[in-house]
Amino acid sequence: MDFRVAFPTLVAGRFLLAFAPLPVSLKDDHLLASPLTSYSRLQEGIYLFQNGIDPYSGGSFRHSPLLLSLFSTVVPLTRYTTPLLWTASDAIAAWALVRIWRLRQNVRESQRDGLIAALYLFNPYLFLSSLAFSTSTLENTLQLLSLMFASRGHSSASLLALAFHVQLSLPAILILLPVLLLNLSGPASHLALPRPFPANLRNTLPLLGEFVAYSLVLSCAATLACGNFAWIEKTWGASLLLPDLTPNPGLWWYFFTEMFDHFRPFFLMVFSVHLLMYVVPICIKFQHDLLYASFLLVGIFATFKAYPTLSDPGLFLSMMALFPETFPYFRHPIVTALLHIHASLLLPLFHSLWLTQGTGNANFFYASTLVFGMANGAALLDAIWAGLRIAVGEKKGYEVVQE
Amino acid sequence: MQLGWRSNLYFLLGLYFSQVLAANPAERFDEELTLRPLRDGKNPETLDNDDDPQHYTLFPLALGQILREYAVTELHLSLNAGNWNYDRWGYPDEPGVGTGAELWVWMGDGASATVDQRWQGLQGSLPNWTAPHQLRHATLPSEHVCTENLTPFLKLLPCKSLSGIASLLNPHRVFDADWHGLGVHVRYREDAGVEVRLAFQAVFDPIRSSPDKRRDWSLRSIFDRTVGKACPVARSSEIHVELPREQSYTLVPDPSVINDRHATYVLVDRHEALDVAMAWPGEPAFQYPLGSAATPLTHLSVQRTLKGSSQSDAKLSVIITNNLPVQIQTGYLETMPWLAQFYLHTLRVYSDGHSRDDLSSIVSYTPPEPHSRPALLQAVLTLPPSSTVQLTMDVWKPFLRYTEHPPDAQRGWDLPPAVLVPFSLGGGATLDQNASLAAAALRGPPRRIYTPVLLVDLATPDFSMPYNVIIMSCTLIALLFGSVFNLLTRKFVVVRIAGGATSDLT
Repeated sequence: MDFRVAFPTLVAGRFLLAFAPLPVSLKDDHLLASPLTSYSRLQEGIYLFQNGIDPYSGGSFRHSPLLLSLFSTVVPLTRYTTPLLWTASDAIAAWALVRIWRLRQNVRESQRDGLIAALYLFNPYLFLSSLAFSTSTLENTLQLLSLMFASRGHSSASLLALAFHVQLSLPAILILLPVLLLNLSGPASHLALPRPFPANLRNTLPLLGEFVAYSLVLSCAATLACGNFAWIEKTWGASLLLPDLTPNPGLWWYFFTEMFDHFRPFFLMVFSVHLLMYVVPICIKFQHDLLYASFLLVGIFATFKAYPTLSDPGLFLSMMALFPETFPYFRHPIVTALLHIHASLLLPLFHSLWLTQGTGNANFFYASTLVFGMANGAALLDAIWAGLRIAVGEKKGYEVVQE
Repeated sequence: MQLGWRSNLYFLLGLYFSQVLAANPAERFDEELTLRPLRDGKNPETLDNDDDPQHYTLFPLALGQILREYAVTELHLSLNAGNWNYDRWGYPDEPGVGTGAELWVWMGDGASATVDQRWQGLQGSLPNWTAPHQLRHATLPSEHVCTENLTPFLKLLPCKSLSGIASLLNPHRVFDADWHGLGVHVRYREDAGVEVRLAFQAVFDPIRSSPDKRRDWSLRSIFDRTVGKACPVARSSEIHVELPREQSYTLVPDPSVINDRHATYVLVDRHEALDVAMAWPGEPAFQYPLGSAATPLTHLSVQRTLKGSSQSDAKLSVIITNNLPVQIQTGYLETMPWLAQFYLHTLRVYSDGHSRDDLSSIVSYTPPEPHSRPALLQAVLTLPPSSTVQLTMDVWKPFLRYTEHPPDAQRGWDLPPAVLVPFSLGGGATLDQNASLAAAALRGPPRRIYTPVLLVDLATPDFSMPYNVIIMSCTLIALLFGSVFNLLTRKFVVVRIAGGATSDLT
């Protein structure tokens, strides 16, 4: 179907969904909204802000002050503007994804555009989060915009989008390195023909400086909006210190619920350093295709982030559509798919059994998050293997293994 | 469970010991005991006054030292057990009847340490506190009252529990009461000196202990003791009995002073033991009155509940009924620990079913900080005449760490009572101006009302699992990390599979 027809149809479908009265209240669902992205907390923070109470003096509001000033002055959040805004954000993200695909394939348009847009707009992980008005939708949009501008070579726009993304969510800082390098190399696929990094590494330094400048300006704007520096500890500090132990589909919350106080600082440090560790090796190993490196890092952070929601692995799975050349080389796609189906059925079921019905306990939900972690990990391993394996090629009568 | 009013059977026992200090070494100590069958509202007698503490003959030394050190100008500490049922028992003589411990302190300016530091030093083991201005308020709803509280309380008295009215306080009987509470009130009066008032209130049920279900009572039947003699240093020592409306009762022995509302026994010059007894000889067994015809005993009736069966969200609902035919404006103070966090933007007010958000205006709100301080919500509510106003607010429940749960974690946590302070009757008029209106319907102006404590049920982790959780999570992370590490660092090898087992490296 022609993309110019398919895309508006898909977006219209999403608008209808957004305005449809859903019987289930998704807004506070722990799978779709974490303490950093929950819409109820955003509304509470805006209400306190508009009534002269510092929203960062308590522990419930953990959104960025930029969102606070945006939604209290420019765009008020009402029953009509919120679904519009969130669906528009998803539409922009889908459009950015399609543009990345086109830039990677180096075509003006292709047959798969509509399919890729549909894979983003109707991915259940993503559209349920959007219906829950979780601000992770906005974060995904900024992420895809940043990658899109980097693929086009518009480094300033790309770094600005990334700076906004970091203001909303601290773990995004780890995507900085591949985006910097992507700005210098191109999005075209070199997976099958690896080559060393084509540009001079020293050229990243001015880009890095530009990013730091944007971040400083945005941080100053946030401090001005908020009036003091309390937002730093409440928003960015939350990803490092894990003050709020609300359940989410990630691996941190139950681990740190059951942890004795003596060991908390050490393990918080371990978990944060663990996230940091993946950036450089993946960028080095995939220096020939930085877009693939960003894609893999998105997957890693979806699995190991402090406060993930379903939209983070949703982004990873939707971005997989950009790399169809790797599909034949997946090691165990059926296992991955089944694990994801398994986890996506168990997670809401056990969450409800524990908190709503009271017949299960926390272990049920914890076990389903472990399965979900395995599902994400399996998808990640598939993607890494395929990305490397494709470079080796086929030869009849031979098998390729690793030693 | 009996329906209807049991109030006829309960007796409000108010024991007031007031000790104040004199400019000249004559410190004054007064004690009095008030007994009344409930259903008659009556304000208790007020107490005496005096001057600066120079000597500590009668004034308790320990309390005086604390007050001096922290420059406290006024202190009210109450420790109560049970729920004061305003609908059945009316207003208490001492208004501080919130369940658990409650402390109000006014601290003076100009002391050496700051007010906050002095407050921290003063409150000791009471953890929840809020800080509006120089007034500090702390509340601990799950504090239990027992003999260990009564003994130091009695030690503050000059006669301890050896003579005087305080000798009646038999812990076995007193803590068996349906409701009991201790109070320490310290005030500095301009014309006099420091006034300390120690109050003990209790609500007894004589029918419970009577074999014939009769409501006859005596000091011996309630306390298992009689008053021996008055405290020698007491300037006045009296027992007041409020007389019931019906005339079919008997009261022995003969009181010193009697009118149609009160009987008073003066103990100061008595030499023999005194046992006051009231009986209803013509009544076989007490008939509980039916509740539907009962007139309200208080100006407002409050019900506060936490609705919802989920362990992640709840809804706080406060239903206030205005029993008067005039509008009442009341302050609403809610000290909510961080165990139940408000979504203030969801506060909705309904009056008789209609949405009336204009009836509440928020005066101040301090958001709660987990592990650190509770939320403080102060609002002014306007209650239309003879109506029911319902406030609802969404509440979310946090998830605690393993070490933060109490030993019996499934019981839940107590949430302190909310306080309603009516301050204005009619359209903008003050209480005094419309006191006649109030007096016509109920005796006296509206007073402070405490709601019962709530129990919030938080989600618990599995307490047997810390080791298992750590190893399973670490195993998964290590598995994924190891696999990613292997994939990134290993070389690819092309292996010939046709025929033999030789391998070629490429």
